Amino acid sequence: MFLKNCLRTFSGNQIRFLLNKNSIVPKYINYKSSASLSTTKLALDDQKVKVTFVLNDGRRLESEAKVGDSLLDVVVNNELNIKGFGACEGTVTCSTCHVILKPEDFKKLPEEASDEERDMLDLAFGLSETSRLGCQIILSKEQDGLEVRVPETINDARG
Amino acid sequence: MRHRLGVIKWRIRGISTNVQCPVQGHRARSTHAAVGSVFDTVSPSVKSWEEVPGPKPLPLLGNTWRFVPYIGGYSVEHVDKVCLSLREKYGKCVKMAGLLGRPDMLFVFDAGEVERVFRGEDSAPHRPSMPSLNYYKHTLRKDFFGAEKDCAGVIAVHGDSWAAFRTKVSKVALSTSSAAHYTVPVAEVADAFVNRIREIRDEKSETPGDFLNEVHKWSLESLGLIALDTRLGCFESVEGSESQRLIDAVHTFFISVGELELRAPWWRIYPTAMFRRYVAALDTILSVTLSHVERALKECEANGGSKSLLQDLVTAAGPRVAAVAALDLFLVGIDTTSNAVASTLYQLASRPHVQERLHEEITKVLQGKALAPGDINQMPYLKACVKEVLRMYPVVIGNGRQLTKDTVICGYNIPKGTQVIFQHYVMGNSEEYFSDASEFRPERWIQRSTYKHHAFASLPFGFGKRMCLGRRFAELEMHIALCKIVQAFKMEYHHEPLDYHIHPMYTPNGPLRLKFIDR
Repeated sequence: MFLKNCLRTFSGNQIRFLLNKNSIVPKYINYKSSASLSTTKLALDDQKVKVTFVLNDGRRLESEAKVGDSLLDVVVNNELNIKGFGACEGTVTCSTCHVILKPEDFKKLPEEASDEERDMLDLAFGLSETSRLGCQIILSKEQDGLEVRVPETINDARG
Repeated sequence: MRHRLGVIKWRIRGISTNVQCPVQGHRARSTHAAVGSVFDTVSPSVKSWEEVPGPKPLPLLGNTWRFVPYIGGYSVEHVDKVCLSLREKYGKCVKMAGLLGRPDMLFVFDAGEVERVFRGEDSAPHRPSMPSLNYYKHTLRKDFFGAEKDCAGVIAVHGDSWAAFRTKVSKVALSTSSAAHYTVPVAEVADAFVNRIREIRDEKSETPGDFLNEVHKWSLESLGLIALDTRLGCFESVEGSESQRLIDAVHTFFISVGELELRAPWWRIYPTAMFRRYVAALDTILSVTLSHVERALKECEANGGSKSLLQDLVTAAGPRVAAVAALDLFLVGIDTTSNAVASTLYQLASRPHVQERLHEEITKVLQGKALAPGDINQMPYLKACVKEVLRMYPVVIGNGRQLTKDTVICGYNIPKGTQVIFQHYVMGNSEEYFSDASEFRPERWIQRSTYKHHAFASLPFGFGKRMCLGRRFAELEMHIALCKIVQAFKMEYHHEPLDYHIHPMYTPNGPLRLKFIDR
């Protein structure tokens, strides 16, 4: 009985640890798929940052990402379940990877939106002052813990 | 449950946006949560396809007779006017049924509905396109276009085959950096064009009546550079040279495609003389592009790395994809760009104050230096001028989709297979979507909050997965050419005002005798 409890506590912690720290499993997924699916240059260093996507229905998708990846890469590489996100595969011809940043994060972004991005943002649903396209936000070390909101999209309405 | 939620969300949003968005506010923000295939089936008030208003087709003759000269009252050259009057007479959604050899069409004049259809698109939207080109690619030359999987191109191709090809090409063609990479060579072509204008001016400093043809040459030269890595030498081409053959073929293609597509399609029954010329022209363009792709392939192997669009395409997707992509660029990328430039020059010629402001902006950015990549991004007014011309006079007056599923548009159930045409010319010129719609005001694209505008009413390059694949290059070419011309000349126009017509691009009707005065 004692042994059984011991085992349970131990394995429970182990699992919780895996879930919290996202250590082994996501790393592996990332490693496997980034080579073929990444739309930006492969980050040479192995630095990781944490990113959270807050969906319209309140779901929070936390994931670990590599420095140098775009937010679209993060969604694709981690197979995050955000329907319709990034329909044009990062070619800035649609606005489905539209994300809303917190004002303080928005100000800290190293580059302003390009004209091409701004043209597409103009066509985004639920545009705000701190809107950007996820495919154009390249993650840096400073953005560890970034939290972005994914506004309602067509697919939410479809169910 | 989720379905119902979707509907409720839609309703609430509809109400709340009305409250938040006063008439003088920003653009008419999206008022729809998107297409609801779900919403559609739930809503009780959907009317049937038969109830859509529109001109009634006659038995046997359908509606095609309306386009017969003198009798019908609708003219092919003035479809723009026809569309305006249809909007007046029938409302925001008009059915055009019974056209010989074509599926039924639905004209949509409501930007909110355009937005809904675009947002509801699946992964491979079907874009109606030239049936004659369809025939060429899929029947006549199917040995070539069908030889390799997913290699028919993007024009006149649909479904999975289109999606696979598009994915291969679009990352290379649509990345903003790959276009900016061409700034310097495209600027050289624009300089050559400026010199050419100096040469062909008459004693009154005016261009000859066929100036549009010179603009075509500039466009072809620029595209040759981008798609084939080659200076074709269009401005000084000699009879019998490869470039001249290409120029002639492209010209024949322009002339015949309008005839073949807009008039009664006799070529479906037997190969008319026009159709044979058209096929010969396509064969020439294909063979020339193939020979250049072969050369690019060899260079690619020799140098290792790639330094151009063509080499990037060959590396990323193989020689055949590169050749077909180049062919498609030639088919739809020349007259569109050149007519847009010609139209803009004509509009600028009668607006000296706009030219002055442009000149000021360009001088301030360049400060006597040569044009470098990124400079154009410092010229918002220049970009706004092009947008404004394309709002009032879009070179392609409408864009369309062939529905891949039954869809509710404007409260009517529109069956799968219908061609839905978004009437951007009519919407772009409507007070409903743009304040002072009849005034040429580039500022509206800069101070967006002071002017009413609906982003989906004017979409000269389309939207989403099927957006114009050549957009980055077209914009680069247009911006650079206009920048160079405004820098070099003051333009004036001293003849009868020109009306616009469909030819087959929407373009000023008549000789473009513009006066170019050296600055």
